Amino acid sequence: MLETRGLSKRFGAVHVTRDVSLRLQRGERRVILGPNGAGKTTLFNQLVGETRPDAGQILLAGEDVTGLTVQARARRGLSRSYQRNTLFDGLTVEENLGLAAAVAHGHWHSIRHDSLTRHDVRDTVREVAEQLRLMPHLHARVGDVSYGVRRQLEVAVALATRPLVLLMDEPTSGVGPEMSRGFHDLLNDLPRDLTLLIIEHDMDLAFAVADSITVLNHGEVVFDGSPEDARGSRLLKDIYLGHWADA
Amino acid sequence: MQGDLGFWVLQGLNALQLSMLLFLLSVGLTVIFGLMHFVNLAHGALYAFGAYAAATAGAALGFWGGLLIAPLAVAALGVLLYLGCIRRMRRAGPMAQVLVTFGLIFVMLDLTRIVWGAQALSAPVPAVLDGRVAVLGVEYPAYRLFVIALGLAIWGALALVLNRTQIGAMIRAGVDNDQMAACMGIDVERMFFVVFCVGCALAGLAGAVAAPILSVTPDMGLQILVPTLIVIVIGGLGSLNGAVAGSLIYGAVQTFGAVLFPQLASILIYGLLAAVLILRPAGLFPARG
Amino acid sequence: MFRHTALRFWTLGLVAAAAVLRVLTAEYFGLELVAEIAILAILVIALDMVAGFGGMVSLCHGALMGAGAYGYAMLTVKAGLAPPAAFAGAVAITGAAAWAIGAVCGRSQGIYFIMATLAFGQMAYSIVFEQPAFGGDDGMSGVPRIDLSLIGVDLNDPRSFAFFCLLLLGGVYWFATHVLQAGLGRTLTGIMHNEQRMRALGVNVWRIKADMFGLSGMIAAVAGALAAQHVMFVSPGLLNWTVSGEALVVVILGGLGTIIGPVIGAIAFVMLKHEISAHTDYWHLFVGVILIAVVMSRANGIFGWVEQRLSRARKVTAGDAIDAQGRTDAAGTRARDDA
Repeated sequence: MLETRGLSKRFGAVHVTRDVSLRLQRGERRVILGPNGAGKTTLFNQLVGETRPDAGQILLAGEDVTGLTVQARARRGLSRSYQRNTLFDGLTVEENLGLAAAVAHGHWHSIRHDSLTRHDVRDTVREVAEQLRLMPHLHARVGDVSYGVRRQLEVAVALATRPLVLLMDEPTSGVGPEMSRGFHDLLNDLPRDLTLLIIEHDMDLAFAVADSITVLNHGEVVFDGSPEDARGSRLLKDIYLGHWADA
Repeated sequence: MQGDLGFWVLQGLNALQLSMLLFLLSVGLTVIFGLMHFVNLAHGALYAFGAYAAATAGAALGFWGGLLIAPLAVAALGVLLYLGCIRRMRRAGPMAQVLVTFGLIFVMLDLTRIVWGAQALSAPVPAVLDGRVAVLGVEYPAYRLFVIALGLAIWGALALVLNRTQIGAMIRAGVDNDQMAACMGIDVERMFFVVFCVGCALAGLAGAVAAPILSVTPDMGLQILVPTLIVIVIGGLGSLNGAVAGSLIYGAVQTFGAVLFPQLASILIYGLLAAVLILRPAGLFPARG
Repeated sequence: MFRHTALRFWTLGLVAAAAVLRVLTAEYFGLELVAEIAILAILVIALDMVAGFGGMVSLCHGALMGAGAYGYAMLTVKAGLAPPAAFAGAVAITGAAAWAIGAVCGRSQGIYFIMATLAFGQMAYSIVFEQPAFGGDDGMSGVPRIDLSLIGVDLNDPRSFAFFCLLLLGGVYWFATHVLQAGLGRTLTGIMHNEQRMRALGVNVWRIKADMFGLSGMIAAVAGALAAQHVMFVSPGLLNWTVSGEALVVVILGGLGTIIGPVIGAIAFVMLKHEISAHTDYWHLFVGVILIAVVMSRANGIFGWVEQRLSRARKVTAGDAIDAQGRTDAAGTRARDDA
């Protein structure tokens, strides 16, 4: 569904991603691990087109999208959420979702119909809001809801574009352990045919959700395999997982 | 005629003189923007005020007295403006700043009309400079050469201050990253105030030297504003070199355009501006990397 | 996000009723005033569409209006087209030009956008001023009004013309609010709040900006074509950037991002102008002071202030969270985001 071939990017002398090759099957849920500065977010930025790679290819559903703009990739089914909330703060939760759903249903540049009241948009908004437990907050302004709800909305907005592949950049960043477990349930409720690529720091969540695990260090893929193998891997323990594997 | 050297020298000097006048105006505006992202549309009105101050003071004290008093008077006005409203608009965003300073244009336009009347004032050229000087076989008014020399001198002085002194280094740090500069212990607010006053004084100086060349009218500030904005956008907001380059480009395009392609003269400069905005949106010499 | 609140409906109804009453009862001077207000109101609705809902603070809307006026004048006087065809032609040409300007300038943000639109506006001004075909400094006279004698209306009659202007204003109001509540307007508002996220959702940002700017330009051209018919004369002064600046003043005075607010701003602006001009030559002094006071008070103009007051009063009595309060907060965020 999503594939990269030899993706490389350097800022000055620093290789932020080096020869990264990934291959995600349809419906696969993969978690990317790695210490801070390993190049995880930069990899996401390259996948969605916010940063241009120096070399390498990105394929979405078999099509080379390396030269396409951010918006063109998004319309082909590649959606992302951000590590820091990137929402429409002045608008309500429903409007936030509606803007995204309007893109999914092609009403985003209509001058004839109200994109937010179209039945297909409303259905999507409702569906996504239910999936991410946002129904009680639908009419609240984003600026007025709690941080945890905004984290859920951050993912919900990305999901409302009805993507084939959803990239989540630390969906639980900044929320407490309890909410983090709630997120675990949320992710398991997502449609099984949706391909997920998740950057995650929370080990429990990562291993509970992942079908497969990729570990980046200094911009390079140092591990690629099943969660079971990851737990047993000596390399991982050294680089990153020391305290988790010991526990 | 277009083939001979005299033509090119003459037009070159005309272009340079226009450039230097615009440079005096744009340098203050651009550094104020670079430091604080503050857009002061009333900069042109300050220039007009400088011209009036120079003409009035000049009538009593002679040209040199006017040339000295005008920058001081405009800097004093700048202090008032700063304390009255600009300080409060610092963080208000470009639209609010554009609107407030647009309001200031209206206010100052009518205030000059109330104080000095709607008639054009003339300011005499000082006796010393009231002749012509031969430059490469072209007789050129001495006063205009003085304007060129003054512009170059100010450029040199500013470059020296910005690149060689402590305060210059602080200003450059502020333009580059004001938050970082504040963290390093630089009082950015006070630095902005000083730079704002110097910018106002330079606008007043520009008004004073322009007074004998152009007629002094209430709307002279409005007329010069758009060219000044074009200069700083072409050059790159916030940079001294950008202001110099933008001024030279504007002066050359405007002057040579007018004699070589009279039909297209003013469209040329707007077309150039549009091209810069499309191809190099941050200007030719942006202050930040 | 544009909403038709009860307050906005009532204000609209009140303004419409007052305007109709005024046209029925007023004498010549009063009728001229109504036409002047209606034309300015159309222009500021056009500006509010892009500035209030897309953060595109344009300093070329005066030039777009001028393009509409000159387009109409050229097509009737020089090309000999029938006035209705010329009207449509002027609107189409200006709309296309505005779309192109929006497409080019839409790539830049904040102050760069303001400068870029200023440049294009001044470019249009220079073209009109310097090309002899446009009549240069003298402008063009003898611009005809649309002939509606088929339906028994003589637009040369000031009362009929004032009605005609009001009718078009009503149509423009409907069109603008409709577009703002359609997908295009919603998406544009999303872009104003968070351009990066909109792009990540798959929105072609420059295209949305250009489309809305084009529609806004068409509306500005309607104002221009009406202005040309109103005074039956066009001059380059119409395109000057100070006209755009004044339009922006009216939008701010009335209430940015409310559509009905700028209409009220236009009424207040024209009335004030005539009142003050009757007593003193220094009308701009007052405009300047009022503008500075409004912007520095941080209220969103006359209408925005009323909306905020009412919502606050309701909040105290009913104790519920009010969306209009949120809207002013959003305006504050927007101003900060622009920095």
